[in-house]
Amino acid sequence: MAVPVILQTIEQTGISTWIRESDSIFGFYFWLTLHGIGMSLVVGGNLIVDLRLLGFAKGLPLKPLKRLFTLMWAGLIVNVLTGIALLTAYPTKEVTNLDFYVKLTFVALGVITMKKLSDQVFSDDSMTEVAMIAKGQALAKWSLLFWFLAVTAGRLLSETATYDTYGHIAGG
Amino acid sequence: MANFAHLHLLLNHFPIIGTMVGLGLFLLSFIGKNQDLRRASYIIFAAIALIAIPTFLSGYSAWVLLKGSGLITDPLIARHQGAAMLSFWFMEITGAFALVGLWQTQRTSRLPNWNVTAVLILSVLTVGLMARTGNTGGDIRHEELRDASAKTVVTEGPIGAMFHAVEPNPQKFMADMVFSKWWWTFMMILHYMGLILIVGTVGFLDLRIMGFMKQVPIRPVHEFLPWGMAGLGINILTGMLAFIGQPESYVYKEDFWMKILCLMLLGLNAALFYLTDVFEGIENIGPGEDAAMPAKILAASSLFLWFAVITFGRFIQFSFDTFRPGA
Repeated sequence: MAVPVILQTIEQTGISTWIRESDSIFGFYFWLTLHGIGMSLVVGGNLIVDLRLLGFAKGLPLKPLKRLFTLMWAGLIVNVLTGIALLTAYPTKEVTNLDFYVKLTFVALGVITMKKLSDQVFSDDSMTEVAMIAKGQALAKWSLLFWFLAVTAGRLLSETATYDTYGHIAGG
Repeated sequence: MANFAHLHLLLNHFPIIGTMVGLGLFLLSFIGKNQDLRRASYIIFAAIALIAIPTFLSGYSAWVLLKGSGLITDPLIARHQGAAMLSFWFMEITGAFALVGLWQTQRTSRLPNWNVTAVLILSVLTVGLMARTGNTGGDIRHEELRDASAKTVVTEGPIGAMFHAVEPNPQKFMADMVFSKWWWTFMMILHYMGLILIVGTVGFLDLRIMGFMKQVPIRPVHEFLPWGMAGLGINILTGMLAFIGQPESYVYKEDFWMKILCLMLLGLNAALFYLTDVFEGIENIGPGEDAAMPAKILAASSLFLWFAVITFGRFIQFSFDTFRPGA
């Protein structure tokens, strides 16, 4: 299948070229670093909530962990914004890579699970901890799995890319 | 001008002498079953395990910079590298067991017997391996210590031969780390998982100490720490394997050395947190209570340094070869 020319058009824009090729400290690796920090907020926060629901650190009260969701949503916003910047820099590399869609799928599943945890387990202040754990345990397991797969798929992006930029084969 | 050889010569004394001091205190602790001496030796082992990291890295870096200069010879370097690799891994395992033992003393006043036995065996082996490493390192530039023919062929004595039989071949080890891009990617995936474990658990503890989510008591948050330490262990393992596989991708980079410096500062931060009365003062803080300012400062510096580690680590690929000769 031919690579859509629109991707070359995007790559030739000023912003795409600047993010991709600039020597500035605020170039590509700045956005990549922020993307990594956002990822550690989202997945790190989910890790604490999930491990607690699965029975670790039983002395930790569950209800206050609701505040962690603010950090997680903040991390997700950072990742969406930085993800757009990274995609703008290398649209061909990502759009033509099947692994990119695998990553987005697992991220979407992770976010949906996060929303379900927030709505079904942490939104009702009158729910007892026992009830919260009963409702949240299965979601916690899926959450861990989806985020693990999302991070793995994300890390595989650079190894599975066919192109670097439009018309240029990756590693060529 | 100072270079990695100078750094290595400065640092290498710490693991070699430090492990002997640690073992000495540990053996002394068996007289009267002195738990305080035993804990002190464990702290030394953990500290030396951390310092062994820049010691090993600086040695490899000195080799990368000096190879081909005529100042060092391949057979002697290879022998020293093999010895250093083996002693390094044993040091890290000893340090890990020491940390596990120290963690256990939170619940009981005594170190568990299984742990004491493991640390005894590991520390004795490590001291022997460190001595071997120091000896082979000294041979590199001290011609008065060795046979002149050792520049081209190294002949081991009976004890040296025993060590040499179990030491890894550094060139083969290097090649094994880069034999497949999928192996490399697998290591990097594990490195990211380790990062998440650290930021999630240590970050949560730091934020609570700083005063966020005050409804949560500190002690159960602290119980997540072994997950963070497991993440640190994964990252030390994968990070060192990555370095051994492609030292030239790291040695010349300022950001790499800044990352290592931040890791050492985190070790110092942890020492200040646990070895002074700071941790004692906050471990029983309940819901709604505030930690003292020294604890908040250490928690904030911990959080800052972990994000600095992530940032410098990410920028390694971007940064210039600051330390490449002629750069």
